[in-house]
Amino acid sequence: MPAIASIRPMCTALLLSALGLLATGCRKERIYEVNEVQLRAPSANKDKLKTSEEYVAILHANLFQTALSANEVYQLAQCIESIGDKELAREVIISNFMNKPGVIIPTDEVMRADIDVFTRATYARFLVRTPSEAELTWFRNYITADPYVTPELIYFSFALSDEYLFY
Amino acid sequence: MDRRRFIQRAGAAAAGSLVFPYILPTGRLFASSGGGGVAQHVVFVLFAGGVRQQESILQRYLADSQNDPNEGNVMYNMFDGAPPVEKIVYGTGLGGISPIPSILGQSLASQGTVFREMRAASTGHYGGLNSLLQGTTAATQGLQQKPINPTLFEYLRRHMGVAASKTWFVGNSIGGGVPLLNHSIHPNYGARYGANFFAPNVTFGPLGDQYLGDAKVYHPEDQLPPVYEMQQFLNNSFERVVNTATGIGNTPEEKQDIKAFMVEMFNKTANGTIAHPPVNDSGDLSTVGYACEVLKWFRPTLTVVNLSGVDGCHSSFTGYLGALHRADHAVGHLWNFIQTQVPEMTGNTTIIAVPECGRNGEPNAILDQNDWVSFDHSDANALRVFGMMAGAGVEAGLMVGNEDNPIGLVTDLVPTVAELLGFKQDVLGAGLIAPGSMSLFDRI
Repeated sequence: MPAIASIRPMCTALLLSALGLLATGCRKERIYEVNEVQLRAPSANKDKLKTSEEYVAILHANLFQTALSANEVYQLAQCIESIGDKELAREVIISNFMNKPGVIIPTDEVMRADIDVFTRATYARFLVRTPSEAELTWFRNYITADPYVTPELIYFSFALSDEYLFY
Repeated sequence: MDRRRFIQRAGAAAAGSLVFPYILPTGRLFASSGGGGVAQHVVFVLFAGGVRQQESILQRYLADSQNDPNEGNVMYNMFDGAPPVEKIVYGTGLGGISPIPSILGQSLASQGTVFREMRAASTGHYGGLNSLLQGTTAATQGLQQKPINPTLFEYLRRHMGVAASKTWFVGNSIGGGVPLLNHSIHPNYGARYGANFFAPNVTFGPLGDQYLGDAKVYHPEDQLPPVYEMQQFLNNSFERVVNTATGIGNTPEEKQDIKAFMVEMFNKTANGTIAHPPVNDSGDLSTVGYACEVLKWFRPTLTVVNLSGVDGCHSSFTGYLGALHRADHAVGHLWNFIQTQVPEMTGNTTIIAVPECGRNGEPNAILDQNDWVSFDHSDANALRVFGMMAGAGVEAGLMVGNEDNPIGLVTDLVPTVAELLGFKQDVLGAGLIAPGSMSLFDRI
């Protein structure tokens, strides 16, 4: 009996180690891979050109935070049609909007208090995306270097940009 | 910098500008404007919405349309000939009984060359306008589609290096696809060689006054350069999948100049001092007034003016006669304005007027207020048009062709203007105009 009693733990240990070998012997080595992803600029995937109507409607909403009436959208689009250089037409439309009361633009002090916050908000407002670190850095440096750059001029440039013409 | 060094540097710069003219995309050297043509400026009137030969150059008034013997010339600024003496309906006043006095002491026909019987490429407006500006037919094109082949504007700008602000298209409306004609979608030409365009009755009319007339003025040195710099940065950051051109290549300085012109036009419109013709009671005449302002301000190398009031003939022959009379008044005013108000263009400008299409020989069923029949434009008679040019490089008092001997195609106008301004070989070499088209000078 004592002999049997001393063998039992050994059998248990052997059984456990055999099970352990079975379990570990079949395990495949894990390989971690990364899916291939084409790196593109944050502004990518905007490939549809806004119509004149869409452009003025969105521009007005971005600047005034209110919508134009359908009639106003139609009339503004006619004004754009009547000018051959569409870049010029947009500049004139923006300049007219900027001359009207009710444009919602942060003050210069607010902008300079935290340029990154302002830049992120401007990208979100006009381009509907977050800026890359490079873009944040560029605007931070540009605004810091020129005390005469105002939020209005920055809004103007965003409204004129090619990316703003697409969605 | 002392005076001696200043003179040395200025002299070197001047010598450099003489020795090293810049090279155009075509590889041709180009020195300043002009470029070897016989004219330095061309004003091309797209005249004026479908014109029958019978009431224009043939001077038949009511004789070939209304079963009425009255004949006469309602276009005496352009053509020689006595006006009608009875049933006057085309002038001003109640019933149009007072003809508009002639502006020119000598008709344009006597000052230049008239092609009495040319052939249009299309009986439609947009196709006709395309053929005049592209030099080719436009059978596959529809409204809302820009020309496929390059326009005159693009040939001029690409091959002669002419600035955008020296190339103008003044349209009487934004309807009918007219604003689409300032450039084509041809990959070798396209928007970057396009013309500036205004439809003054919209741009400077009530709509323009409401939405464009109160532009905030930004300082051209302190405020606009940062805007353009930031715009440039944003554009460089934008990965453009669609290659859609959005500008026609006006430089910042040209844009400033055009904006200043717009401000001037809004002021002049408000003050009633636009250079309108003596009679200004139609859209065409109003358009021509602004075209004169464009000529005076920019002194363009090429100005194209589109008139279309004559198209009322679809439903009113009476209105058609009045519009024809006014289109003639408009052309007379344009030419007179150039001679008297734009000294830089006097003596070196050629004016051309050609309808984009004619009108039918057979009337439709619509009677107007005088019980006169109206005319559409779809049959063989609608392919009959005249051509008239006068001024620099054009022989005076010459009549070419007649009803039995048609000479000239509307698609000839592109090489004709090209010859006047000195880029005919470039146009012919591009091989994009209709087969058989040639300069009208080569048809004489």
